[in-house]
Amino acid sequence: MSETKALETMIGEEYKYGFTTDVEYEDFPKGINEDVVRLISEKKDEPEWMTEFRLKAYRAWTEMEEPTWFNATYEKPKFDTLQYYSAPKNKPKLNSLDEVDPNIRETYEKLGIPLEEQKMLSGVAVDAVFDSVSIFTTFKEKLAEAGVIFCSISEAVKDHPELVKKYMGSVVPVRDNFYAALNSAVFSDGSFCYVPKDTICPMELSTYFRINNMNSGQFERTLIIAEENSHVSYLEGCTAPMYDEHQLHAAVVELIALDNAEIKYSTIQNWYSGDEEGRGGIYNFVTKRGACRGKNSKISWTQLETGSAVTLKYPSVILQGDNSVGEFFSVAVTNKRQQADTGTKMIHIGKNTKSTIISKGISAGRSDNSYRGQVKISKKADNARNYSQCDSMLIGQTCGAHTFPYIESANPTGKIEHEATTSRVGEDQIFYLQQRGISEDDAISLIVNGFCKEVLKELPMEFAVEANKLLGIKLEGSVG
Amino acid sequence: MRHTNKSFLKQKLNQKETIVLELKNLHAEVEGEGIEILKGVNLKVNKGEIHAIMGPNGSGKSTLAKVVAGHPEYEVTGGDIIYNGESILEMDPDERAHAGVFLAFQYPVEVPGVTNTTLLRESYNTIAASRGREELDPLEFDDYIREKLDLVEMNPDFLERSVNAGFSGGEKKRNEIFQMAVLQPTLSLLDETDSGLDIDALRVVSDGINKLHGEEDAIVLITHYQRLLNYIIPDFVHVMIGGKIVKSGGKELAFELEEKGYDWLESLAKVNGEAK
Amino acid sequence: MGNLTKAEPSILHNLAIHAPENTPQWSNVRGKNLKALNSTAFPHRKIEEWRFTDLKPIERTEFVPLSEAGVLPATDIEKYFIPESDRSRLVFINGRFQEKYSSIGGLGKGVTVGNLNANASHETVSSYFDKLVNYEEDVFTMFNGVMFEDGAFIHLEKGAKAEAPIQVLNLYTDASKPFVATPRMLVVAEEESDVTIIEDHIGLSENRYLTIPVCEVKTKKGAHIHHVRIQRDSINALHVSRPIAYVEKNAEYHSYTITLGAKLSRNEPRVVQEDEEVNFTLDGLVLIDGEQIADTHSVMDHRFSHANSHQLHKVVVNGSAHSIFNGKIFVRRDAQKIDSFQENRNLLLSIDGLVNTKPQLEIFADDVLCSHGATIGQLDPEEVFYLQSRGMTEEKAKEVLTYAFALETIENVKVESVHKLLIEEVYRYTKANSVEKVTA
Repeated sequence: MSETKALETMIGEEYKYGFTTDVEYEDFPKGINEDVVRLISEKKDEPEWMTEFRLKAYRAWTEMEEPTWFNATYEKPKFDTLQYYSAPKNKPKLNSLDEVDPNIRETYEKLGIPLEEQKMLSGVAVDAVFDSVSIFTTFKEKLAEAGVIFCSISEAVKDHPELVKKYMGSVVPVRDNFYAALNSAVFSDGSFCYVPKDTICPMELSTYFRINNMNSGQFERTLIIAEENSHVSYLEGCTAPMYDEHQLHAAVVELIALDNAEIKYSTIQNWYSGDEEGRGGIYNFVTKRGACRGKNSKISWTQLETGSAVTLKYPSVILQGDNSVGEFFSVAVTNKRQQADTGTKMIHIGKNTKSTIISKGISAGRSDNSYRGQVKISKKADNARNYSQCDSMLIGQTCGAHTFPYIESANPTGKIEHEATTSRVGEDQIFYLQQRGISEDDAISLIVNGFCKEVLKELPMEFAVEANKLLGIKLEGSVG
Repeated sequence: MRHTNKSFLKQKLNQKETIVLELKNLHAEVEGEGIEILKGVNLKVNKGEIHAIMGPNGSGKSTLAKVVAGHPEYEVTGGDIIYNGESILEMDPDERAHAGVFLAFQYPVEVPGVTNTTLLRESYNTIAASRGREELDPLEFDDYIREKLDLVEMNPDFLERSVNAGFSGGEKKRNEIFQMAVLQPTLSLLDETDSGLDIDALRVVSDGINKLHGEEDAIVLITHYQRLLNYIIPDFVHVMIGGKIVKSGGKELAFELEEKGYDWLESLAKVNGEAK
Repeated sequence: MGNLTKAEPSILHNLAIHAPENTPQWSNVRGKNLKALNSTAFPHRKIEEWRFTDLKPIERTEFVPLSEAGVLPATDIEKYFIPESDRSRLVFINGRFQEKYSSIGGLGKGVTVGNLNANASHETVSSYFDKLVNYEEDVFTMFNGVMFEDGAFIHLEKGAKAEAPIQVLNLYTDASKPFVATPRMLVVAEEESDVTIIEDHIGLSENRYLTIPVCEVKTKKGAHIHHVRIQRDSINALHVSRPIAYVEKNAEYHSYTITLGAKLSRNEPRVVQEDEEVNFTLDGLVLIDGEQIADTHSVMDHRFSHANSHQLHKVVVNGSAHSIFNGKIFVRRDAQKIDSFQENRNLLLSIDGLVNTKPQLEIFADDVLCSHGATIGQLDPEEVFYLQSRGMTEEKAKEVLTYAFALETIENVKVESVHKLLIEEVYRYTKANSVEKVTA
């Protein structure tokens, strides 16, 4: 069917970010044991409590089994041969952009993330993470004026130990799951953000993750704390070179929103997805969870998932505070041999808590796309509300779409509504648009875009452009 | 045949300039099913003309409109479609639209999530680009379509709604004519545009069509009933039965049909068919 | 899944040595199932399919083999007869056939209504019996395959239309110790035939027993089957049922399951599409209260193009009851033009009740229209208020609305006396629960 081909070319366009950067790396042993964990901690010059945290996690991990409950099959990562820490030789932590390895700087330029502040989109501060380390954080001074701390997690461990100690592992405990435990043991770097009371973060914060080294896994850790009456919007982008071997990315993201605070977290995930035969590509096994600890707090996850060979990812919200709100907006596109098992958990604990889930899955090629979600209204969550809408679109006849929503209510005043549909791009729709002069490719773009619209409109403007490019879709109403 | 005569050439040239659409013994069937629906249709439509094609259900008149617009469900198995002097058989539906062919659908399709404005701007600009007209930026375009809205008496809110999604039957039909107004086609094929319209809506839509029609374009109305022709006066009426045009005439043919019913011509068609 | 017995043999494994010995005609079936059973472990909650349902009540009960069917006064049996089926009735007590109370052969030529033991050599029985069962590594079907005493056999020849509904009445008596019953059913409707079956399970006292009904249904080309299943087991009973139906070209299978009884019930209806142009329904109504746990795991398996399928599963939970639903809709590769709709509505009336639901779509074909909807909630306060404004008490308004909610599911039950009976059951439930409901 020609429409299928057109869409396949559209979303299956050559991966543009597959280049590698020639960088000299520090030596680091492969495999994992307590010594390796200690060595990572040592390399990062960490305090004792951090080392202990890692060791505790490592011991927990050795007792855990790799999960198998998801709808994906893949060759398990070889934990013994993986390199758990990978840092470019030309470091130490940089205060001036001039000190950044020119090759790495060029990499970010190529990715469209210039690190010079004057070249950047005004209003976005970037933390650039290259393999295991944070390379550079922009606009630090400007943010500091507002009282916002935005730095790499390594710096935060040294400069703000009380905050890290208090919150790290408080939303995703080290024993939470296999990959979260592994991350807690070996996490290399990531972003830290603290927005103080009564503060609206003056600009969008963003981290750009790049895996470059072929043999390394990336284990970054992100921690965002929004104090009472504060507000922050955070963006995350990811790319990786094309290698024939699979690479592991196992991140942990923890968000904490206190009374009346709001955190908006957006992701465009475009890791390398492997080739037609399923060779190479990233294993994206990420634990993302937010806790609405305070009254009237709000956490909102928006994600556009287009990359990775295998994605297992469920950005979740624990709605503890009364009247708190959780949101999850997701577009997941799979093609070729990609497998995505993604969704969310909304755990209602506080009274009058509300959650909304809008998920759009598009499967093409020989891929499998699964929505997996959990909505739980606990016994005490009086008047909790959830609305979920999970739509799937299939393109061609060799892909699959799956919906696994787990819904539970233990409170009679709670209300859960879940709807799911499966459809396709209709021939009559394509003809209609073609009759209006729109080419077949553009017609499909428009239809897919229309299908995802409720989610795409949640992305911050700065990301909308990238989302647009990624989906190969002309975004509607880009002006106004 | 030999046509060396100069006056003939001249005549032919003139003719070429004024003929918008010519169907030559057009045969078409449902793709892959081998069921022939159009069984040799001949038709000539000149600039400035309005043609009405009437016929009972299943006569092939809607198929005719879709085939001219290039619907992939149908395969042309014989004959030709000449548009502005050239065969368009090999052209994709969007290329035909670029060339100025417009089909107002009998059942306009819903496209959830895509607003009317988006569709029309996209559509207007691609057509404009291919016809050498100037493309409009979103602000200019907004001004442009708002004036067209009045033509079909539509509320501006409608521009931000998804294409046809949740529209009533009447709204969908109005939307088709609104799109025609925005896109300014050379040849408009209006497929059962009157069906599903109440009398007021019918008047609005017909007025709109009449205002849009001029010396430089042509309209082919496809309709089951004579009702629409009270509002839009055709220059020619053709009756289609069994995949063929069995009778052509002026507007009075429509009245005659209304009076005598299709049975009258169906028997005629049979006789003709047998005579062959 | 590697479900081999590592763990202790369960009570079912232990009981399986007491297989009936007086039925040589089934020795192959029993042998095959015993072999399978002995290499299959009893399920536990770490298996996804059993995540929400704890089977300890089964594992921890000291079931004993039951040597006698038990004797009942005729009136106790006859009061459950539906008048429409006076010529077509099969009665079983604790899984054993009761010829005396049954009525076979009343539907004339072309319709066989009988027991399996007597029909073991019937061509249809040898072709299909125990061959349609398709539950993955399931100790319950295997156990039934070892232990069944007898079963219902319904066969319609080509073009035969059963003029009256066939009642399959399963009664469970009071025994001194907990026992296990293993009823069995085989229904084969040949081409263009038509039948309505009322399958009823009734516990006559409040004792504990475990019943494991296994039902195989084959709906051949153009045949129509309406299958009403009513579960009115004792309040301490455990009920694990396995009804599976296959649907051939142009055939229709419509099933309605009404779950009222049992302390713990696990119902796994499945419909498998075997050719194009089929139509099937898999509706359910669950009304539970007290400590009841009712679990429905259904599968609608679309394997060919052009199917219309529909599932409406309605649940009312009161007291400390717990409802579990997992409705799987599969659309296999190349099964195009499938129109499948699943709706699961849960009414949670009490503060101690719990509802788990997992509607599940698994789609591998692109030209399909599949959707599901699930809701959990209480009665709409607007509706309650509306009725109150018309003069009803809040309690009465809730009773009326609950009744209306439940009633929708049984509207398609066309056998008059059964329809009436179900209305009474719904009424009794809503009435009995109307006081507690005010708590919300």
